[in-house]
Amino acid sequence: MPDSRPSRGYRFLDAMVRFVPHLVLLIVLLCLWEAAVATGMITSIMIPRPSAIGGAIVELYVTKGTIYKHFFITLTEAVVGFCIGAAIAVSLAVCSSLSDVFKRYVIPYAVVLNVTPGIALTPVVIAWFGYGMGSKMALAAILCFFPIFVNTLTGLVQIDEDREELFKSLGANNTQIFTKMRVPAALPLMFAGLKIGLTTALIGAVVAEFAQATDGVGVLMSRFSFQLNMAASIATLLSMTVIGLLLFYTMEFLDDRIVFWRRESRRAAASRARARSWQSQIGK
Amino acid sequence: MNVERMPNHAASGEVVVSGIAVGKTFADGTVIALDNTTFEIKRGSFVSLVGPSGCGKSTLLRLISGLITPTSGQISVHDTPVTGPRRDISMMFQKATLLEWRTSLENVLLPTEIAGTPTKADKNRALDLLKLVGLGDFAFSFPAQLSGGMQQRVALARLLQTGADILLLDEPFGALDEFTRERLNTELMRIVAEVGATTIFVTHNISEAIFLADQVFVMTSRPGRVAKIVDVDLERPRPLSIQTSPEFNRLVEDVRVTLGAV
Repeated sequence: MPDSRPSRGYRFLDAMVRFVPHLVLLIVLLCLWEAAVATGMITSIMIPRPSAIGGAIVELYVTKGTIYKHFFITLTEAVVGFCIGAAIAVSLAVCSSLSDVFKRYVIPYAVVLNVTPGIALTPVVIAWFGYGMGSKMALAAILCFFPIFVNTLTGLVQIDEDREELFKSLGANNTQIFTKMRVPAALPLMFAGLKIGLTTALIGAVVAEFAQATDGVGVLMSRFSFQLNMAASIATLLSMTVIGLLLFYTMEFLDDRIVFWRRESRRAAASRARARSWQSQIGK
Repeated sequence: MNVERMPNHAASGEVVVSGIAVGKTFADGTVIALDNTTFEIKRGSFVSLVGPSGCGKSTLLRLISGLITPTSGQISVHDTPVTGPRRDISMMFQKATLLEWRTSLENVLLPTEIAGTPTKADKNRALDLLKLVGLGDFAFSFPAQLSGGMQQRVALARLLQTGADILLLDEPFGALDEFTRERLNTELMRIVAEVGATTIFVTHNISEAIFLADQVFVMTSRPGRVAKIVDVDLERPRPLSIQTSPEFNRLVEDVRVTLGAV
């Protein structure tokens, strides 16, 4: 199959050209903000100048490098918590999809967990798991459970009559129907759940840090805020944005590769890969 | 009158599918989908089931496939009663029903995967079948990259990959446009002749039923039953233009009279 995509260099240039207006807008907004503080329209104690935030960023991220330890602690808490929550959610969703009885008994608990504000569990979770990273992981796991559970279950129980009939006519057993039909068909919805879950897991980790902790970006940020060091506080907040983006795009990347059949560019790439692997296996 | 004609040259005479007093009722016996039907289908023949909606043609096809079981009577394939889906019977539906995460080739290999682990020979056979249906260049394309007609061709290759010698087709090209349908029908005739399969084809289009078949089972509704079997003695291969011949039109007339649609 011929490769009709534009060249890598061209695509990079194209992306750059589209990026420029966004950068210009951002710079204009920052200048207006800077001017508003410089002219005294806004008190710099409450909202620091962008340049002061820039200074705090340099200090936290470059000269002192204080942020990194906290950054990796929060990142670890969110990721580990997410993995635990996701593993439990997916397992329970799989069991629920296989057994109606199991589903009937699990769903009320899942719903109760969902309607109870998860963040309100913070004090309890800290009492159970202590001041360390454990309590943060636990809250992250609890908060990400429901969206992953519900989306995965919805994906697994959707019925496509035509496919069911096809598999039956081919004499497929229940295991084959599950692995070759139900699971792949559920992947798009499962990933939608995982993406929401990853964001809520980060919220869980940070909120638990606000409540009680010694390390992590949440602690660092509340410490700076108490000192009314707003520039450093906002510089720390940005590190949470970075963690969020890092997690989001990792999941986006996995989603794009694993559930490749929804987007034409990914389908085309997958199609080329299959052709190559066929060539190496069977082809002459 | 046509019932007394000699069987078509394509059929060797051996009966491979038969039904004795087959009946099927739905909704606690209040709806008679198929009533007391007896029939025989010979090896290598092409049979069309034609009739209006509700005449039980899809029910009869599903009974033969083993997807549903008769309320009364018995259906036998290769002299053994049909009790459920089996490997010597394969079915194709109106929708292609491809798995969108699989390439054409992987979709064609699905029946082999369900039966066991595909060998290198199975994989090569799947590729050959895709070439046979004219999709050799699209073996690694995903369903979303194919047109409706191409998707049905993949479904046809998957049907053949089962290796079943009895093929059941339930309005397989019914959702496609007229031109694509005619082309695929012509190819279907060529392909089933090439693999030597016994084919049972459901349609509500009278011309299509006659054009393809050696025998047309004309079915009527309330209750669903085979009202008449019309033998089609037109020569093969059949060009599309045969549909304007007097002989063809006489057969259409015959079917129409039976259906009470004149």
